[in-house]
Amino acid sequence: MMPILWILIGIVFLLALIFIGYYNKFAILSNRADNSLSQIDVQLKKRADLVPNLIETVKGYAKHEKGIMEKVTEARKAMVSAGDIVSKMKAGNALSGAIGKLFAIAENYPQLKANENFLQLQQELAAIEDKIAYSRQYYNDSILSYNTACSTFPGSFFAGIYGKQKKEYLQIPAAQRAVPKVSF
Amino acid sequence: MERISFYDQIAKNKRKSFFLMFLIFLVFLILGYVISKIYSGISFFTIMIFAIIISISYILISYYNSDKIALASVNAKPANQTQFKQYYDSVEGLSLASGLPMPKLYVMQNDQINAFASGRDPQHAVICVTTGALEKLNKQELEGVLSHELSHIANFDIRFMTLAAVMVGMIAIISEIFLRSLWFKGSKDDNKGGAIFLVIGIVLAILAPIAVQLVQLSISRKREFTADATGVKFTRSPTGLIGALKKIKNDKPMKVNKAIASLFMSDPTRTKIQTMFSTHPDINQRIQILEKM
Repeated sequence: MMPILWILIGIVFLLALIFIGYYNKFAILSNRADNSLSQIDVQLKKRADLVPNLIETVKGYAKHEKGIMEKVTEARKAMVSAGDIVSKMKAGNALSGAIGKLFAIAENYPQLKANENFLQLQQELAAIEDKIAYSRQYYNDSILSYNTACSTFPGSFFAGIYGKQKKEYLQIPAAQRAVPKVSF
Repeated sequence: MERISFYDQIAKNKRKSFFLMFLIFLVFLILGYVISKIYSGISFFTIMIFAIIISISYILISYYNSDKIALASVNAKPANQTQFKQYYDSVEGLSLASGLPMPKLYVMQNDQINAFASGRDPQHAVICVTTGALEKLNKQELEGVLSHELSHIANFDIRFMTLAAVMVGMIAIISEIFLRSLWFKGSKDDNKGGAIFLVIGIVLAILAPIAVQLVQLSISRKREFTADATGVKFTRSPTGLIGALKKIKNDKPMKVNKAIASLFMSDPTRTKIQTMFSTHPDINQRIQILEKM
């Protein structure tokens, strides 16, 4: 009689561990996804912070290219004031496009192209573009892990109990990298 | 050409390495069982346990300091962030892609294209590249190499290989002590199981250490394939790593301490013939698999 009691206690204990295990697993994966979302934000902000410096440098050599400089400044404002991550990313894409056009126009100003500060900014912005791409990739990867845990057995059983929903992937396409043709 | 996915590659090689690890553990159990059939005396087991404790402590200490030991043995210097901006930017980007904390970066002076990663867990990880790698590889190829190294950290390979080394070491010690003890056995027959176990025991004690070492090397090769595939997962393109491996194929060999040779990205001694004693898989095979991804 006694051994049966011990076995039952053992089974209950094991079940408790499993329930806790899955609860924690969902919590960990969900937090990881949220954190990676804020990482994208960090990179976007880094890029936005470099823009004023870029505008000042370009102004020194290409004063009358007001049109494109205004576009860049506006795009930056839109990005900084955007609320949720979706609008931030859309604004980020617009900013990326505007910066791309600015670099295209800079091709016509050899003195600007040779400027140390300008070159550094160009390199820095290119590096940040890479990091934005990587952080987006990781965000989608973490969503994949979370969704897989929710949909595979036995996780799906627990997901139902704890009311865990699948998360959405980042749908916004990356900005166009192609440098547009500037016609005179 | 039939395409393979890096997810499948990662899963397949991880499975194989776990299975091989289990094999080593099995050998350990069998050895222990056979010896226990032969010996009833306490003294044998006390010596054995004592020896095991010493060897495990040694391995654990070197595991905990694995990063310092590895860096010191090749005279690596910390990489200056402004001087090696490309290196830092690449690793930062890959850390974002992998969700890992940024490891400490080092450089070692050598013309050969190579790199290694060390450290007991991602929070204490280091990556070291050769000056040759920084000079001879372009941005994409360097990222491919760095991604492979970061994959070793992500897959906890240092911990995994240390575990294998511990078990192989224990088997070697047990076998050694057992064989030596036969010397002193004399004619007093305290042999419990009979002659058959004695024979099995001796055969096992001679063959087991060699066999599990081969298995350990096989594990090392599987983890290299896993790191290649995980590296592709981070960069989402095998092009960089393929380019780097092709350049590595024609590189000159480097003189390195044997213990650290297995940590490198590719065999630093550049032994031309691939055998079951090789720590790294054949470069051509690695390129072939990557080209299918």
